[in-house]
Amino acid sequence: MTYQTVGQSVARLDGIEKVTGEAVFVDDISLPGMLHARVLRSQRAHALITGLDVSEAMAQPGVVAVVTGRGLPRRIGACIQDMYPMAVDRVRYVGEPVAVVVAENPHQAHHALASIKVSYQDLAVVTDPWEASRPGAPQIHPDQAVYHRLPGIHPLPGSNIFHRLQVCRGNTADAFREAFLVVENRYWHPSIYHVQLEPHGAIATYHQKGGLTMYASSQAPYVVRHVICELLGLPPGRVRVIVPYVGGGFGGKSDHTIEPLLAWVARHVPGRPVKLVLTREEMACGTVIGRGALVHYRSAVSQDGMLLGVEAEVFLNGGGYGDFAVNIVTAAGISATGPYQVPNIKITAHGVYTNTPPTGACRGYGHPEVHWACERQMDIIAARLGMSPVEIRLKNALGPGKVNAIGQQMESHNGRVDLCIQQVVDALGGPECFLPRTNPCVGSIALEPGGIEADPLPHPTGANASPKAEPSGACAKPAAMPGKVRGKGIAALMKCPIMPTNAQSGAIIKLEEDGGVMVSVGAIEMGQGCHTVLAQIAAEALSLPLERVQVAPQVDTFHSPYEWQTVASHTTWAVGNAIRLAAAQLCDKITRAAAVILQVPAERLEVVGGRVQDRERPERYLTLQQLARGYTDARGTALSAPLIGEGNFVPQGLSHLDPETGQGNIAADWTFACQGAEVEVDTRTGEVTVLRLVSAMDVGKVINPVLAEGQIYGAAVQAMGAAICEGIVFDREGRIRNPSLTDYKVPGVEDMPELQALFVETPEESGPYGARGLGEHGAVCVPPAIANAIQQATGLEFFDLPVTAEKIIRAQQKRGVPA
Amino acid sequence: MNYTITLKVNGRTVQRDVPAHLTLLEFIRSGLQLTGTKHGCGNGECGACTVIMDGKAVRACLILAVEANGCAVETIEGLVESPLAPFAGELPGAVTGTGHSHPEINGASPVGEGVGAGLHPIQRAFLAKGAVQCGFCTPGMIMAAKALYDRNPNPDRAAVVEALGGHLCRCTGYQPIIDAVLAVQTE
Ligand code: FES
Ligand code: FES
Repeated sequence: MTYQTVGQSVARLDGIEKVTGEAVFVDDISLPGMLHARVLRSQRAHALITGLDVSEAMAQPGVVAVVTGRGLPRRIGACIQDMYPMAVDRVRYVGEPVAVVVAENPHQAHHALASIKVSYQDLAVVTDPWEASRPGAPQIHPDQAVYHRLPGIHPLPGSNIFHRLQVCRGNTADAFREAFLVVENRYWHPSIYHVQLEPHGAIATYHQKGGLTMYASSQAPYVVRHVICELLGLPPGRVRVIVPYVGGGFGGKSDHTIEPLLAWVARHVPGRPVKLVLTREEMACGTVIGRGALVHYRSAVSQDGMLLGVEAEVFLNGGGYGDFAVNIVTAAGISATGPYQVPNIKITAHGVYTNTPPTGACRGYGHPEVHWACERQMDIIAARLGMSPVEIRLKNALGPGKVNAIGQQMESHNGRVDLCIQQVVDALGGPECFLPRTNPCVGSIALEPGGIEADPLPHPTGANASPKAEPSGACAKPAAMPGKVRGKGIAALMKCPIMPTNAQSGAIIKLEEDGGVMVSVGAIEMGQGCHTVLAQIAAEALSLPLERVQVAPQVDTFHSPYEWQTVASHTTWAVGNAIRLAAAQLCDKITRAAAVILQVPAERLEVVGGRVQDRERPERYLTLQQLARGYTDARGTALSAPLIGEGNFVPQGLSHLDPETGQGNIAADWTFACQGAEVEVDTRTGEVTVLRLVSAMDVGKVINPVLAEGQIYGAAVQAMGAAICEGIVFDREGRIRNPSLTDYKVPGVEDMPELQALFVETPEESGPYGARGLGEHGAVCVPPAIANAIQQATGLEFFDLPVTAEKIIRAQQKRGVPA
Repeated sequence: MNYTITLKVNGRTVQRDVPAHLTLLEFIRSGLQLTGTKHGCGNGECGACTVIMDGKAVRACLILAVEANGCAVETIEGLVESPLAPFAGELPGAVTGTGHSHPEINGASPVGEGVGAGLHPIQRAFLAKGAVQCGFCTPGMIMAAKALYDRNPNPDRAAVVEALGGHLCRCTGYQPIIDAVLAVQTE
């Protein structure tokens, strides 16, 4: 199939605005009479508020209002209504909003914060999801039984568990009894920050006539609108949410974060816009954080390396409020077996309230948490069996005809993880770089050192030595310097979008008077390039040159079509489908209008290259320009009306999971991939240098290669941070020890490995031109690939992230290797 | 306490009264309404606020407006070479200036000859190499690259990495940005 625009690396639609500084982000907007808000945040992780006195703050210069949670009408939430937008009588994490000062300028608002007096009665604090799940843990939501929640959410009353998902297939008891080898380990992925460069911000005006207008740096204007409508009792037609350019989202601007809080604040100063932009320190505790999961993983394997069964328990940190984490729990539960067919499965995923900031969506959404376990486990199993880590993966890989953990059968159009694995292995130097480790264990039961009987939970012991592979031939690359060792590792993945079964995406295509089109969608351009890709899809579908297609850059709930939210790597797929439907409708209207004018049956007309023409006599045609505003004949009589096409898409055939077995059709499509790393470890300092990160992904048809590569590069480097340097540290009182970018190190330009992105393009039947999602996937498997490479280099096994220099040194000392 | 400062911003002399605590970043963004320079952290940790002051790349959030008194400051808005004739005027037909095209990134695209003609070579290189995603780090990155080229017209990779050190980008994985900065000299 040849395409005109699809498949080309056209330049981004928003490029020039962004290199000139012209692109407008929320903080660049000033409105007449605008006020500024600053937030007083709880310094206690778990406490009752016993007193709150704002009178002195009210009297400070420039202060217009001090808003508290007093009088908040109701709890909010999209899945579980378990939170108020600010504390009412109780705080559940350090950073929870307690009061908001509104003043004429930001400095005045900031200064007045110090005059607010709050008294607390402290309660016991728990920040670890596993500890919080135990009987006797401090109860963070004692009244969770009465919260309103959507069907399909299963809390455990009387505990901190707000959602529990079980996935069961076959009979794991038999599988484990009959297994040649059982491998059991416990893995920890700490909480991390998204570190969007643009801080969260919003400007809200509560209108005197009732209703609200908000500019927000959000991935989810329709979710924001819904929640604000519920909170303030307003109809949707009275709440307008406008999203300008967004400076990075990565999930951390999905659902809702600061917007309901600001709506409540604006309600107190009707008629005046209020701006709230978080400081970098507030970004650590004032929105959502990501990940934070303990995974206890048991695999039963046959002698020839077939996975017979998996039993896994996942404890996901929900933080003080669980609303945003419910579906992450589901995602982790259904993807815990990775890209493999496993006949016998018993997985329980728990979402647990703790006293940390709430956990929200974070690039990968439940998948990196469980792939960290699953893909480390595969290497360990391979070593035990004396098999190559490549062979064991290929043996068990899902593919056409195989069945995944929730009982969905893979079709040939779903993609090929085996090809992805082979591409990565070849790029890293071939199968000889991944020889079986020498001196494997042949025993039938092995409780790994990271196993449950080790240290007090939740933190696994870190590292233990096991035999390392001896690379040979082309791969036996001598390390650059003495004291440095190199290794290579791979990890494979499968990821699906987790979405409501009726997640909506709409598109409107308006024929403009020059014969070009204006496309409106509800999808947010946050850097991923979706507006460019969607323009390419529209150009292809309408047979127009790309410069005739514009995509309205701002999403505005007053005008833009519905969009569930810009998450789940589903925009190209779902909104792309909506655009194709809209284009089809527009073409249909064009041909029907032209049929009347040209006196040719509509079936004989085609829209091509900016014209509508008679297939049989192409010299009979009208330009789209002639039709755009309504065609008039020689007498001036209008023969047609202006033309607009509309398309609306929902995924087909999805259903809720069975509450007992977790089986069902919840995933609309999957993307398979493999990622590989080459690392160099300095055995004296423990420092890890990532030399190469290679990703091969079956994304279906690549619509724009440069943008697709950009997604994979960015995701891979982000995940490299999680692998070797990132992780939020909480102290016993629940305070964050590393809220700044000085203490929380993210990869910088000097840490850059060589990046490579490879594509397998198995066309996706349900996607536009065969495309499927790819935005998050590059973040899923980098940590296990890097840890597997570190294992090959050093012989050390790591079970908790990040694998820092300090942990490597400690592990070496424990093993008795002189540092 | 307010002070009167006089400085050159993008070649134009401005004189303002500013409070002592006002940072150069706040002055540029709020005082002069030049919002192309971004506020990513306010602590010198991200580089998004980078401007050029007397020839050197500096973090505007770490400098007080009063310290810029008497200095020449360049911001991203000053980079476009023909600011009064941006893009739309030079375009054929009815195509507007949102610029799909960059010849290097899309040799095949016939889109809008002349789009982005006024752009600085560094800006063009960023577009050509796919070095822009969300765009929030971009103005700071470009100004740092400009300061580098102003003092070293032939930087090697190490010089580029050093010049961009401490500039965070969470979207691109840096590789396209390094490629873009290196590509400028070959233009
Ligand atoms: S805003 Fe100045 S360095 Fe981040
Ligand atoms: S492009 Fe988004 S931070 Fe660099």
